[in-house]
Amino acid sequence: MSSNRWLATGNYFTSYKEEQRIFTTSLDRSVMGVFLCVLFSWPLFFSIGNKYMLVVDNILVAVIAVIGLNLVTGFAGLISIGHAAFVGIGAYTVASFCRVLGDSHPLITHGWPPMIVAAGCMGALFGAVVGLPALRLKHLYLAIATLSFQMIFQWTINFMDFFDQGQTISVGRVFWVTGEVARNEHYLFWYYVILTVIVILGFGVRNLLRTRYGRCLVAVRDNDRAADAMGMHPGLVKVYAFGLAGFCAGVAGALHAYLYRGVGIDSFTLYHSINYLAMAIVGGLGTLQGAFWGPLAIRVLDLQVERLSEWAGSHVTAATNLTTALRPLSFGLVIVLFLMFEPRGIANWWRIFKSYVKLWPFRY
Amino acid sequence: MKKDNVTTWTFLLAALCLLTLPAQALAGEVYKIGLSLAITGPTSDAGNPYAKGVEDYFKYVNDTKMLGDDTIDCMIRDDQYKNDVTKRNFEDFLDQGIVFYLNYSTGSTLALKKDFEEERMPVLPASFHAGNLVDSHYIFLPIASYSAQMIGLTEYVVKHNKGGKPKVAMFIHPSAFGRGPVEDVQKAVAAGLDVEIVEVVEHGKDLDNTAMLKRLSEKGVQYVLCHTVQSPVATMLKDASSLGLVATSFGEEGKITFLGAHYTGGNDLVALAGDSAENFYWTTSYIVTSEPGEGTDMQLALAQRYNRDEKAANSHNYANGMMVAQVVTEIIKRAKSKGKEINKETLYEELLDMNGANAFSPKTTVGDVTFSESDHQGVDTLQLYVVKNGTFASEGSPFTPEYTSKIQ
Repeated sequence: MSSNRWLATGNYFTSYKEEQRIFTTSLDRSVMGVFLCVLFSWPLFFSIGNKYMLVVDNILVAVIAVIGLNLVTGFAGLISIGHAAFVGIGAYTVASFCRVLGDSHPLITHGWPPMIVAAGCMGALFGAVVGLPALRLKHLYLAIATLSFQMIFQWTINFMDFFDQGQTISVGRVFWVTGEVARNEHYLFWYYVILTVIVILGFGVRNLLRTRYGRCLVAVRDNDRAADAMGMHPGLVKVYAFGLAGFCAGVAGALHAYLYRGVGIDSFTLYHSINYLAMAIVGGLGTLQGAFWGPLAIRVLDLQVERLSEWAGSHVTAATNLTTALRPLSFGLVIVLFLMFEPRGIANWWRIFKSYVKLWPFRY
Repeated sequence: MKKDNVTTWTFLLAALCLLTLPAQALAGEVYKIGLSLAITGPTSDAGNPYAKGVEDYFKYVNDTKMLGDDTIDCMIRDDQYKNDVTKRNFEDFLDQGIVFYLNYSTGSTLALKKDFEEERMPVLPASFHAGNLVDSHYIFLPIASYSAQMIGLTEYVVKHNKGGKPKVAMFIHPSAFGRGPVEDVQKAVAAGLDVEIVEVVEHGKDLDNTAMLKRLSEKGVQYVLCHTVQSPVATMLKDASSLGLVATSFGEEGKITFLGAHYTGGNDLVALAGDSAENFYWTTSYIVTSEPGEGTDMQLALAQRYNRDEKAANSHNYANGMMVAQVVTEIIKRAKSKGKEINKETLYEELLDMNGANAFSPKTTVGDVTFSESDHQGVDTLQLYVVKNGTFASEGSPFTPEYTSKIQ
C-alpha cells in the first residue's frame, strides 16, 4: 500500500489490523464525511414539500429495518419472513404506552428518545424469543417459524381490544428543545432524527462486524459445524442474531409510529415482511451498503409502479384487476431478476463502480 | 445593429405582455380539491366508480361553467386502501393548496383525523362510520352512518317479523369498517330494540360458507344482517341458495332472510350472486337507477356525457361520488354568492350552514343533505330496497331509524 494514503489505488494490507479498518483510505473517509455533510445539510438549501419529505423519511425507516434483516439473513444466513412483525412490535410498544398513559403524556412527547430505545429492546426481546426455534430448526423450517410469528402477531393485534383491533392508535406530537415540533417541521425534524439513528446504527454494525461477535455471525452462516468446532455456540449465535435484528426492527417501528403519528396493523403485514426481504435481496445480502440501496430501489420502484397502476386504473375500467396485480408482479419480477442475474445485489454494482473509479484511468 | 435587436426584443416582449394580461385577468380562480381512494387493490370495485362519479361531476361543473369562469381542479390519487399511502397523498394535496378534501376508507379517515383537525380541513369521506365523527370537527358523513343503516335494518326486522323475538346474526367485514356498527346495534338492543343477536361473524376470505350457514340455521337464526362489501355477501347468498336456506318472502319460516347496508348491495351484487340475490334486502340513502327519477336521469346523463360504461353508470357508488362532488360544488357556489373568498375556512362555514332553509337537495339521494355544528351526518333518511327479478325495487317509503338518537 502506498505510504501516502491519499494516493492509494488499491487496498494492500500488511496486517490484520489494517484490514479491519472502517475506512481503508483517507479518500474513503473524506468521501464519507462529505456525504454525511450533504445528507445533513441539503434540507437547509432545498425544500421538497411534505409529501416527498415523508417518502424520504419512509425510506430511511426502511433502511433501519433492513439493517436488522441484513444482520439475521445476510450475515447470519437465517431467513426471516416475519420482519415486519418485529417492526410492529416496536411500533406497538409506543402505541401501548399511548393507550395506557394517553398519546400526549410527557413520556411519549418529551421522552421519545428513551421510548425509541425501549421499543428497540422490546423488539430484541421478541426477536430472541422467536429465534429460539433456531436452536433446533434450520433453513425452510426456521423460515416457517418466523412466518408463524408474523401470523400470530397480526392475529393478536387484529383481535385485541387493547390494540384497538388494528385500527390506528394515535401518537402525540413530540417536543424538542425549542418546544413542540410543529406540523410544518414535523417531517424535517424526523428526517434528522432518523438519519442520526442510521449513522449510529450503521457505524455500530460496521464496528460489530470487526469484532468476534460480528465474525461469529458470518462463521455460523458459512458453516455452523466448523463454527461449533471453533468454540462458538451456533444456536446461541442464531438467537443473538435474531435479537440484534429485532432491536433494529423495534427502533424502526418506534420511528414509524412517531413519523406517522399513529400505529395501525396495516403497516406491519406479511406484505411488508416480503417487502423488507425484497429490499435486502435487491440491495445485497451480507453487505452493509445493501441495507441502504435496497430500500431506496424498492421504494422508488414502488412509487413508479403506483403511478403506472393509477394511470391504468383511471383510464381502463377492465384493467383494475391487472393494475391491482402490478405491484406484487413487479416485486416478484425484480426479486427473481436479481436472484438470477445479480445475486449480490446493487451493493455489487456499487463495488464495481468504486473499483473502476479507484483504478481509473487504468483498467486493472 | 445591436441596438436594433434590443428594441425589437423589447417591443416583442411588451406585445406579449399586453396579449397575455387580459387573458390572465379574464381567467377565473382554480379551486383545488383532493381525493384519495382505492382505484386499485381491495374495495376498488367500489372505489373505481366512486372516483369516476367525482371526476365526471367536476368536469361537468367546469364544462358547463357552473361556477362562471372559476374552475375546480380535483386531484384524484390511488391509495390502494393503504393508510400510509393516503397520508402521503394528503400531504401532497396540502402542498398543492387544496381547499377541500375527499377521503375514502374508514381506516384512513380514522388515521388522519388528527391531521384534519390540525389543518382545519373539511372532509367528506366515502366511509359512513359513526366513529369518524368522535372527537372530530371537520369530518362530515355524506349519508346516514353504517350504525344508522344497521339499526334501521334491525328495526325493520323487529317491525315486520311475525311472532316472537327475531333471532339475527351479523355478518361483518373483519376491519374497522365492519366492526364499527356492531357495538351500536348492541346498544340499541340494550336500549329496548327487541331482537336477539345470536352471533356476530367476521368473515375471512372464505369461498364456502356452508358450515357457517348450517350453524346459524341450527341456532334458529332468521335474519342475517350484513355489513361488508359485495363479494362475500354474494358468496354467502350462493351457498345459502344451494342449501335452500334463502327466504322467498320476508321472514319466511325455517329460512333465512338476508339484509345488508350500503356497500353490500347495488348492481354488482346482482351480477355476482345472480338469482341467489333474489329477495335480498338492502338499505342506502341513494336512489338507484332501477327506480328512475330526476336524480337517476341526471346520473345516467352524466355518465353518458363522459362515455362511461353501463356498469359504472348504474353503480350506486358512481352516485355516491357524484353526490359528494355536488355538495362541494354547492358550498363553493354559496360562498361565492356571498362574496366570500374560497378557502377551507369559508367552505367549512358553508357546510355548517347547510340546514333548515339552506338544506341541499342533490336529487341523487332520498333526502336532503343537512349539516350543522351538532349534525355532521348529511342525509339522515334511508330507503329500503329488495331484489325482485334481478333488480333493486323500493320497499316502502324513506325512513329514519328511531334508535340512533336513543343510544346517543
